[in-house]
Amino acid sequence: MRYVVGYSANARGYDAVNLAVALARGHNASIDLVLVLPEGSPFSGIYPPQAGYDEILDQQAAEWLDEGLAMIPDDVQARAHIRRGDSEASVLIDAVADLGADLLVIGATSSGLFRRFTVGSVAGSLLHSAAVPVALAPQGYHRTDPITRYSCGIGTRPGAQNLLTFAVALSAVKETPLRLVSLLTLDGENEEDAVNAATVRAADAMAATVSGVHAPIPEIVVARGRTIEESVDRLDWEDGEVLLIGSSRLAQNRSIFLGSTANRILRSLPVPMIVVPRDYVPEGTSQTSANDPSGEAGQS
Amino acid sequence: MSIKRVAPPATSSTGGLSDKGLKAGSVGLIGAVVIGVSCIAPAYTLTAALGPTVSEVGVQLPAIFLVGFIPMLLVALGYRELNNAMPDAGTSFTWASRAFGPWVGWMGGWGLIAATIIVLSNLAAVAVDFFYLMLSQVLGNPDLADLTTNLPLNIATTLVFIAGACWISYRGMETTKGVQYVLVAFQLLVLGWFAVAAFIHVGNGTAFAATAITPEWFNPFAVGSFSAFTAGVSLSIFIYWGWDVTLTMNEETKDPEKTPGRAATVTVLVIVIIYMTIALATLSFAGIGEEGLGVGNPDNQSSIFAVLSGPVMGPFAILMSLAILSSSAASLQSTFVSPARTMLSMGHYRALPTKFGAISPKFKSPSYATIVAAIAAAAFYVITRTTSENALWDTITALGMMICFYYGVTAMACVWFFRAEAFTSARAFFFKFLAPLLGGVILLVMFFKTATDSMDPAYGSGSSVGGVGMVFILGMGVILLGVVIMIVMSRIRPEFFRGQVLERQGSAPAAVENKHAEQ
Repeated sequence: MRYVVGYSANARGYDAVNLAVALARGHNASIDLVLVLPEGSPFSGIYPPQAGYDEILDQQAAEWLDEGLAMIPDDVQARAHIRRGDSEASVLIDAVADLGADLLVIGATSSGLFRRFTVGSVAGSLLHSAAVPVALAPQGYHRTDPITRYSCGIGTRPGAQNLLTFAVALSAVKETPLRLVSLLTLDGENEEDAVNAATVRAADAMAATVSGVHAPIPEIVVARGRTIEESVDRLDWEDGEVLLIGSSRLAQNRSIFLGSTANRILRSLPVPMIVVPRDYVPEGTSQTSANDPSGEAGQS
Repeated sequence: MSIKRVAPPATSSTGGLSDKGLKAGSVGLIGAVVIGVSCIAPAYTLTAALGPTVSEVGVQLPAIFLVGFIPMLLVALGYRELNNAMPDAGTSFTWASRAFGPWVGWMGGWGLIAATIIVLSNLAAVAVDFFYLMLSQVLGNPDLADLTTNLPLNIATTLVFIAGACWISYRGMETTKGVQYVLVAFQLLVLGWFAVAAFIHVGNGTAFAATAITPEWFNPFAVGSFSAFTAGVSLSIFIYWGWDVTLTMNEETKDPEKTPGRAATVTVLVIVIIYMTIALATLSFAGIGEEGLGVGNPDNQSSIFAVLSGPVMGPFAILMSLAILSSSAASLQSTFVSPARTMLSMGHYRALPTKFGAISPKFKSPSYATIVAAIAAAAFYVITRTTSENALWDTITALGMMICFYYGVTAMACVWFFRAEAFTSARAFFFKFLAPLLGGVILLVMFFKTATDSMDPAYGSGSSVGGVGMVFILGMGVILLGVVIMIVMSRIRPEFFRGQVLERQGSAPAAVENKHAEQ
């Protein structure tokens, strides 16, 4: 497994590195820090021309990457890359494709004052166009210990199969606990029926996903609140937990689109979130590939 | 076992990139000409420099515009040689340090920073003039155009423009190819329109002071005195400032062998044709009288098109306002990059405090240096505006002087740096020795002559402080400030000034290989 981190030498980038380490430790994955430098346009009208500026920029970028690498503990393999391009999002997407990465890790922007997550423009465009799952580190994410529990958000709409398959595979690697989370907004009428229906839906989805596969039965939790934010608040979250959610059904095949519900979850969520493209089928969801650092041939 | 390393940028980059981090082979001939014209920003330079030049040389304006290109060309040839041998963000600063040691190098860098800071404040002021002019044209209320003469409002608006351009530059946003094509095409179109309309007025007998064109206008020797001649030439250096960008292009062009040379030629032809046409049209329409619309009228000096576009173009004068506002706003933003990068480079080589070398982790642009550039430009504007009756006129003259200074130093650095190669081939003799030597000597003579002449309180706009001309105070004040800061820096951070950071180099081939000092 190979994780690409959209790195920058600020709080946002450090959050992403920490999350990548936490995720990688459970899965024997290696980390690629990618720092995106702007690609100067010859049409920018900059005068006098300063040909050597990019050398200074490259030198600074290398120093920043050294700092990032120093944050990564010795038990996790890591490499660093400087790439150039006009759009940070599209450079990261290309890097994921070039490096054959399985996951892209980014930090939420650090400008949100009251909310842990505010999706910045780069994260926003990534969530609209990435073909692999995108992990979002909340502001100030410090943990680097392995993930202690995966929560998988089950919506009211059908089509959660791929997400569940991904979640089961993730949790199976180190036998990390998995729970299915259904977030309901209720207006006080027929609450019990709605809760029961949600529980049944989650159980059915799970049964369909793991039919014929040996997997522990996950806990199913239904969270209730008047708003999505409230139901997220009412759930208990472990420090080392990660929430997995599927991308909106508006998404084009194989790319992520963060729906309005997911956006609202994001705002009140205290833990990292991994957004999985609707039709994402990991290459080799089986346990063997998860333990095989095949992408690292020649690296050790 | 963990393996950690930073992959070199060259191997991990997404496409073919040049040394400069620009997309290689992306600029054709037309693109290169567009870049050249956009760096010159002819609509802005004409409105700012035409009046002051006429006040020095009168009807010999076309002659001086032609002569002014010669030293620019000579120096630019040397600039290109240095740029190829030592590509560096510090340009004049680094090259002069390598050739003449830290002190001259520091002052060369200071000259470049000062020139770009002065032009920033002037660009912002011109943009503000045309902003209010356009507002009055859009709303049909002539009183709005006079708002720019309200000192507190003018200063406040100018500071807003400077802050806005600084913010855009800090965020690393750049003018895109499409925008640049539109800006350049629009400028050329409107300038052409102005010239044609002016000649039509002359033909119809409706011109303000129809003046017949004579061959004497093209005779530089007809200029009254050597002082007027040097003043005129140092102003016309300013109008070609930016042209050399085409010569220093390299890998980013589709054909690095041919495109830069051809682009430089085509750009200069386009620019000379525009300058000649506008100069002749303006002089034929308005004459050089000191009354009314006359180009010699001191009230018309700071921005000639603000005065003439209405009478010449009628209701379409708003296009001129839009062309100058858009081109000066675009130049304002891109010009911010230059002093910021030079200061960044000086911070990097420890010739300025290391803070100047800071790069924003988020936007990957010089952070501290960009803000310092904005504060300096704002301070320069506030000081000149409050002390000079005709600040724009004086700043343009002081700017011409500053360009002569740092260009002269750079040209001499080229001659000295390549001294060992100068006589090895005819090509080296011409490009590395003769051309920069001639150009450098001309510019330094211009610089010293303008400096001594400008002590006269009647020089330029006639503003003076304590019996000394405003232009001298601005020009020499800025240079003296540089000397003071340099001495302070040499006390607190002596490494650079002991020559320990940027070592002096001759033109031995091995020395050229070592582009950067070890950090």
